[in-house]
Amino acid sequence: MRSLGSGEILFILAAVRWTLLLSVVAFIGGTLGGIVIALMRSGHIKALRWVAAGYIKLFQGTPLLMQLFLAFFVPGIFGFDVDPWGAAALGLSLHASAFLGEIWRGSIQVVPVGQWESSAALGLRYWNQMRHIVVPQAFRIAIPPTVGFLVQLIKATSLASIIGFVELTRAAQVINNATFQPFTIFGLVGLTYFIICWPLSAYSKRMEQKLALAAR
Amino acid sequence: MTFHSQIGRRHFSALALGAAAALLPGAIRPAVAATPDEIKKRGRIQIGILTDYPPFGGIDENQKPAGYDVDVANLLAKAIGAELNLVPVTGPNRIPFLLTNKVDMLVATFGITEERSKQVLFSNPYSAFTTYILAPKSIAISTPDDLKGVRVGVARASTQDSALSAIAPRETRIMRFDDDATTTQSIISGQVQAIGASSTVFAQLSENYANLQIERKFTLKAQANGMAFRKQDEALRDWSNDFIKTISENGELGKIHQRWFKTAMDPLPPMPQF
Repeated sequence: MRSLGSGEILFILAAVRWTLLLSVVAFIGGTLGGIVIALMRSGHIKALRWVAAGYIKLFQGTPLLMQLFLAFFVPGIFGFDVDPWGAAALGLSLHASAFLGEIWRGSIQVVPVGQWESSAALGLRYWNQMRHIVVPQAFRIAIPPTVGFLVQLIKATSLASIIGFVELTRAAQVINNATFQPFTIFGLVGLTYFIICWPLSAYSKRMEQKLALAAR
Repeated sequence: MTFHSQIGRRHFSALALGAAAALLPGAIRPAVAATPDEIKKRGRIQIGILTDYPPFGGIDENQKPAGYDVDVANLLAKAIGAELNLVPVTGPNRIPFLLTNKVDMLVATFGITEERSKQVLFSNPYSAFTTYILAPKSIAISTPDDLKGVRVGVARASTQDSALSAIAPRETRIMRFDDDATTTQSIISGQVQAIGASSTVFAQLSENYANLQIERKFTLKAQANGMAFRKQDEALRDWSNDFIKTISENGELGKIHQRWFKTAMDPLPPMPQF
């Protein structure tokens, strides 16, 4: 049996970079997809609204673990070779698109309809209304729930271990199976997630208070 | 990780694996056959190994895969004349990795069972171990019937899981954990009164937790492990059978066993017949 030495601890801590990188990539992918979904869902074209709603329902109604699993193994059946990294990035991006799309759809629709009407009276068309009138207002409303979701997303990257992607949680499992020190190892891992997520939560809280102040 | 989310996660992964298992036999594309000639020409062989099951498949101090399986895989790659590419797999995702062509074959301490041989092709055994019911001296257990009302932990989807499920009386509460390490932890922390595990785990428990006075109560299963291939890769299977025969006769396999288990190797068990 191995003992838990500095090499093992370093291996676990080095895996944090994969957790962070995966979170960043999924957040960027989710932002791009989420913008498209939010615009489709809040727009005037009925067919697009239905497609976006279906997409959101599908991804909110199935477990992320299943989505990752399918993203990894299904392309292999059709002869496309996807590595665990690519599958995890894709699966999490699609997942984040659905949730961010729904958050931002809500933020857009919270902007009073009078804002649309008065900007239309000024002669602005859809894209300019969005850009100059609606998005600046929706943006501030969207920050707290978006950051809240980002925290969820960071923790959700641990599910990528099912497809063999070695991030923080998987690295800890591998070391635990060699050293049998679960309390130390998983305690350390929990603390690491906390150190990453807590500043984000604190930021979200501050933004919320600021917004409340501005709205008074 | 809370206990609750652990259950949820296990439940989901079982679901996901079940869905994939249902999906895979009807796979649209027949996988490209991996033959020894084709692998030689390609110059690279992808072998799936475990990294969380030492000493069969674990990691060394440089965090690289190391163990009995890894040594066998190295020998095999050398014999076939191709560069070895080790792909870490886990117990539950071994079969999907193989069937979706992510590896050419598995050298992953894969117990030869009837259920599994419906999905994959097995080589003759190249390693073996025995699993037992382990429990503290103070608990009287000598037959499966004594497990009535006892909480027993096992690693899920392992052969000890299926062996225990087959023989345990209905009143036994079987608790399935992710792997051997968590199963071991469950008996140390008292969540279960007995566990089903191999002699390797028994050695670790007696060495590190002598105060628990864990002993072997009865044998669950003598497990023979085979390399695994896709159903159509019979040529590679036949080649591997010859390879296993060669290295067990010339003593190289014995040396690997000595290195990882510090004991001489018992003769390999015969191929189980179903």
